[in-house]
Amino acid sequence: MALDRAIYKAFEQVVGKRNISEDPGVLETYRCIAAQSSAHYGPYDHKTPTPQAVVMPGSTKEVQGCIRLCNKYGIHFKASTTFWSAHGYIDDDYSIQFDMHRMKNFSIDAKNMTMTVEPYVIAGTAQAEAMRYGLTCNIPGVGCSSSLVANVSGWGGPGPSSVYTGSAAENLLCFEWVLPNGDIIHTGSESAGLAGFTDEGPGPALRALLRSGGGLRGEFGICTRITFKLSPWPGPSEMTTEGHAPAYFAKLPDNIRAFTLCFPDWDRWGKAMMLLCESDIIFAGHRQFSMFGRDIKAAMLEILIDPDKQLCDIEELNKLESVQKTNKSIKIEMYVVVAGMTKEDMDWKLAALNKIVEMYDGWFDERCNQKDLEEWMQSYFIRMGHKNLNYTLCGSYEGTFGLNGGNLLYSASIAEEAFAVKREWEEKDTFIARIGGDSSMGGLSAMGGGQGPMLWEFFAHFDAHDKKSISGLRNFIDNVSTKFQREHDCPGPEFCRCNQMLRKESGYGFTQEEMNEIYKKMPDVNPYIYQFKVQKLFNPNDLTGSYYPRLDPASL
Amino acid sequence: MALKDYIAMEERCSNCSFCKFVPFDVAKSIRFGDNCPSGCYNNFNTAFARGRFQLGLAIAREEIGYTAETTRIIHECMSCGACDVSCKVCRYNLEPLEHNIALKNEAIKAGHILPGQKKMIKSLEEEKTLMPGKKKANRLAWLGKLEVKDAMKSKAEVLFFPGCRYSYDKKLFSVAQGALKIVMATGADVGILGEADMCCAGRAYQMGFFDEFNAAAKANVKAIKKTGAKMIVTPCADCYHAFKRLYPELGLDVEVLHITEFIERAIDEGKLSFSKKLGYTVTYHDPCHLGRQGEPYVAWHGKEKKIRNQIHTWEPRRPRYIGFYGIYDAPRKIIAATGCNLEEMERIKEYAWCCGAGSGCSEHSPELSAFTANERIEEAKATGAQMIVTACPWCKGNFEKAGGMEVKDILELVLEAM
Repeated sequence: MALDRAIYKAFEQVVGKRNISEDPGVLETYRCIAAQSSAHYGPYDHKTPTPQAVVMPGSTKEVQGCIRLCNKYGIHFKASTTFWSAHGYIDDDYSIQFDMHRMKNFSIDAKNMTMTVEPYVIAGTAQAEAMRYGLTCNIPGVGCSSSLVANVSGWGGPGPSSVYTGSAAENLLCFEWVLPNGDIIHTGSESAGLAGFTDEGPGPALRALLRSGGGLRGEFGICTRITFKLSPWPGPSEMTTEGHAPAYFAKLPDNIRAFTLCFPDWDRWGKAMMLLCESDIIFAGHRQFSMFGRDIKAAMLEILIDPDKQLCDIEELNKLESVQKTNKSIKIEMYVVVAGMTKEDMDWKLAALNKIVEMYDGWFDERCNQKDLEEWMQSYFIRMGHKNLNYTLCGSYEGTFGLNGGNLLYSASIAEEAFAVKREWEEKDTFIARIGGDSSMGGLSAMGGGQGPMLWEFFAHFDAHDKKSISGLRNFIDNVSTKFQREHDCPGPEFCRCNQMLRKESGYGFTQEEMNEIYKKMPDVNPYIYQFKVQKLFNPNDLTGSYYPRLDPASL
Repeated sequence: MALKDYIAMEERCSNCSFCKFVPFDVAKSIRFGDNCPSGCYNNFNTAFARGRFQLGLAIAREEIGYTAETTRIIHECMSCGACDVSCKVCRYNLEPLEHNIALKNEAIKAGHILPGQKKMIKSLEEEKTLMPGKKKANRLAWLGKLEVKDAMKSKAEVLFFPGCRYSYDKKLFSVAQGALKIVMATGADVGILGEADMCCAGRAYQMGFFDEFNAAAKANVKAIKKTGAKMIVTPCADCYHAFKRLYPELGLDVEVLHITEFIERAIDEGKLSFSKKLGYTVTYHDPCHLGRQGEPYVAWHGKEKKIRNQIHTWEPRRPRYIGFYGIYDAPRKIIAATGCNLEEMERIKEYAWCCGAGSGCSEHSPELSAFTANERIEEAKATGAQMIVTACPWCKGNFEKAGGMEVKDILELVLEAM
């Protein structure tokens, strides 16, 4: 069903002829392939619905104009920037897809250490701009190719350097938001017509309403601008590197170092991590390359820094004594970057780091701390320039089942049991990559001050082209999640495939009636009733989908 | 490979958007952080490599047909390969550039091409050049009174191949002559193809006209073999790419040097020196087909092989072109040797922004081509350099058309400094 010509023309008048399309080929590229790694939706062997049209507004005024038209004609809508996540794709046939590609203005207030960005400003290049002023920003774990606005409005945005910078959510000062009814609101100091130097308060805050703790996951209109805090960067004004793709090596002064810390068991690892979080000595920390799997992570590191090596070299590399030695050494590890503001600061931080490692009988891995790997890791963790190594093995992964206990020591205590279960599935079921059980990863501190998220994203790599791999992966996660939920009271399926409750398997959104059936079974229904009321107030025509869970109290 | 052979890759694209930006380790700004001219010009997701994968999947599965807009976007890709480099920073089993070209070829096979492309291909078939309006009869006019061996009549060790642009653009005749004189001055036994000289057809390949490319390339390979040449020297980046990367598959087995490599070698061997220090402050534009696509050809015929259940690799080992072995140092060494100061742009070497002439876009999609060239000129101006220097006549021509900055062929610097 194509849009009525008068309606299409109305949108065209707002954004201009060049910035709207209903071409079938163009529309096809605005469908989420549910078999790909798309923020834990599925995986399924199909695509989300086709929008009626794609619009590309170039300003907040154009966003407002299009949203008002959506309200006038009862058309659903969703906005996205880089289109990684399923959240940003429409979930109803009669929908308009907003592509925010044209909105990429930014400004930096170096004196007040803030940055203001529009939706298409991504984290990697925003950080490059900030570095010119001796500043840096949080780069969210989703990767430096993702929109900062999407991170702040849609999620929490924790990343490796959140231990130092704070997460995206924590750094938010002001935002400009076009509500689902077309009204524009500004928060923080910007609401008074001032620069974006402070957020709301004291008192009730729109910020809490519109992004809350976890973010709105693409619901509730379109966030068109944010102002957020930057942090001091004690390095050069640009990320100096040597080498060519794929292996870039950072050339940074001595006050910025990367280390691979290893520990003899999970208990001592967990305690050391907690102390690292509290010590205020870490610039960035992430248990990252563990995602390749316990059996092959050392080989993968050698592949990633050598342009002549490929995935087919894994087995030969694994035969090398040196690789075996590294694999054994980095079995229970953490990768960190330490940055000193002064020589004295660096000396103190290194001394503290050494002390913590020593306290828990740890060691610095010999191979990973050699110059080439250290320089490669510096670039990785500071810029997250290679974040999409997540996809290297199979192109897709799914994760998080049961280990997200919310407490690091608890997660660590059941880690080996979880790894053993996964290894068993890898051996008996060929639908996920066989990489050695442990493939869990996570940042050193993130949401809520840290300690929980590490080990939270437990990777299972699968092939999005292979139908058996897709369904096998789903079967694996559901089984394992249920097991851990039952035996350890872990959140399991509630979190790991959270989108199962936000978008139907078919790719369409849930109706209010369907949501009522889901959320009235929750132990505490009140948050969902509250959200139902918020929805009625700000989104009266219900135009933005079912990623905002809500329960109509009348259904109870 | 046909488009249907890419379905696995199309489904395995991770949707990460790395293909839209320069590799993030080397990104220096928001203004010059993008890498895809077609995506930045069209804005729609469709025009980026990621969108092309998804579009290709729908076409290969016959879920959609061709419209004028779809056809335009498919062909409005310069095959510059910037997406390919950025994708492969993390992915070891996707080939975005190959796929972009296969998508074009599929459209061509279905009869969906752009009017400008029709003219180019007609010109290739009738006048042996992809420059419409140029005549085969005038192909050797660039030589003027310069005498050189006709290698088709008398064998030569070195074959000088100027390419269409140097052969037909009068402003470049003296540069082409100068390049040939440099080769001759080193004492090399050099010749040209004479009446057999014709287009390398590399741009036909970039546009997805595989049949037309193969026909022209086979004729060239036959002629080159007849000359007995052991080395081809060309001042054109497109010809260099065609000979070095595409022709070996069709049986060409000679050393291929770009003129900058030849000059670098001559300087190192003491066969060439400069008498003047020019003192210009210049910035250098890496041509896509000399830089990231200038890597040596590695023969491969194989198939996918999964290891460890689901990790997809290739059997036998597949060459992984990622720009690592492209030609970046030779032009920079020459610029230094001529006494010029080099101020680098933000996007260089394997992640350089395209000039806008790739894949025939300057002929069939002039607006996109002009947008792309203007973007590069803006980036060049930001360096504070006096001029932008390049090592490809197509890049030079497109920058001159954009205007706003002095443009020089690197050979012009060389000839001025000699």
